[in-house]
Amino acid sequence: MMTVFARIANAGAKTACIMLAFALAGCATHPDASNPAAVKAYEETNDPIEPLNRYFFELNRFLDIIILKPVATWYQGVVPDPARDGVRHFMDNLDSPVILANDSLQGEWDRAGTTASRFGINTTIGVLGLFDPATGMGYPKHDEDFGQTLATWNTPEGPYLFLPILGPKPPRDLAGYAVDQFFDPLTYIYWNGPYTVPVARFVVNGVDVRSRNLKTLDQIERTSVDYYATIRSLYRQTRANEIANGNVSNEKLPDIENLNFDTNEPQSVAPAK
Amino acid sequence: MSPLNFVRSAVAPVAFCVALLTSIVGSLPAQAANTDPAAEAWVSEVSQQAIKIISDKSLDRAGREAQFAALLDTNADMQRIAAFCLGQFLRTPTPDQKSEYIKLFNNFVVKVYVTRLSDYHDEKLVITGSQLKGDTQALVQSQINFTNGREPVKVTWWLLKKDGGYKLFDVNVVGVWLAQEQRSAFTSVINNHNGDFAALLDHLKQQIADAENGKLPTTAATTAQ
Repeated sequence: MMTVFARIANAGAKTACIMLAFALAGCATHPDASNPAAVKAYEETNDPIEPLNRYFFELNRFLDIIILKPVATWYQGVVPDPARDGVRHFMDNLDSPVILANDSLQGEWDRAGTTASRFGINTTIGVLGLFDPATGMGYPKHDEDFGQTLATWNTPEGPYLFLPILGPKPPRDLAGYAVDQFFDPLTYIYWNGPYTVPVARFVVNGVDVRSRNLKTLDQIERTSVDYYATIRSLYRQTRANEIANGNVSNEKLPDIENLNFDTNEPQSVAPAK
Repeated sequence: MSPLNFVRSAVAPVAFCVALLTSIVGSLPAQAANTDPAAEAWVSEVSQQAIKIISDKSLDRAGREAQFAALLDTNADMQRIAAFCLGQFLRTPTPDQKSEYIKLFNNFVVKVYVTRLSDYHDEKLVITGSQLKGDTQALVQSQINFTNGREPVKVTWWLLKKDGGYKLFDVNVVGVWLAQEQRSAFTSVINNHNGDFAALLDHLKQQIADAENGKLPTTAATTAQ
């Protein structure tokens, strides 16, 4: 009980803080209403509390530099690859019930079957999920969560939101994250505590994910003119790709046919000088 | 067996096969019409050249960047990509700023992607399909299969037909369009400096300077991890 309450209370407290800070910090500068291109761009960016999001982004970056990155670097350097893969597979296997629930809610019965088979195979032959023989047997891993399910039900993502510790969690994905806790059998198993197991799971998962992205994130940070905006774009594009189950659609691509410096692109109206 | 029945039983399988064949033959051109084999061949060729440049251990950073710049210059529509990355601010720069921006942009892209592509040295890219998009554009799907057992990476190439050949416009790596990613960063910089285009130029110069001062790992040797 405590765990779930703590998690919800935690999320609630965070939301309250955000609302409060939102009121205090004010929001991103509104565009000039007479400039349609600027208004459209503002709506596309959809980040009305950008100053606050940037503050939390920097906070997370600070925490990353002082704790997460050193630990992940150490973990990656000290723990041999097969052991780390075991940890990853074990974590992935624990996520199976949540993925299965969301596969089903989306009516993706083939994928639900894959998830169920993976869970069965990896929990038994794969020694409680430490190994992943299912991938080799034609049941590759995929991810689902309730945020994605909501998206398939046409729920919009909402304004961008970057939270301390949790990272990018716009309203749809934050709600999805909360609901997913209820799809997770471990939530009920540890309903009355102890906290240790869920916390350890969260921490180990975080360290493992970070250890797998050390170089990638480093490269992105060093090659970005605006790291925050780059991460925002990466998050949204990656989510859209996950929601589409990896099928890159050629229907939603921007119109680039007549785009160059010399002709007028319809979307870009020159600002009146 | 009456002759009529005999004819029936002999003809039925043949008719069935003919029907099957016509349906297959009928469906073939319909599928083929939407793919673009020439674009697939083009991507295969250009990506091989790129991987070769990234993997060439005899090159130093400057040499690798120079070769990569030449490859981009011939095969990518850099002007259009540069324009796309400005989004709503396409009309903001003065002619001088514009020409400086295009120069910096080319340099920046070379430095960024020589770094980011270093992951893919000595790997193989396999073309998995393609679609035409309208009359003038094509999308080519491919996959990088890693030799070290890492999960394959899906890469989609967005091409424009130009003068009988192709020009690269954007690349999608595991769901992320790279030009869109740059556009959001560029417009964000300009936005956060109250629409001052010079701020973007300063940021680009800073990034390029950082890269030249060795803050970027741009050699294949640094990618071992």
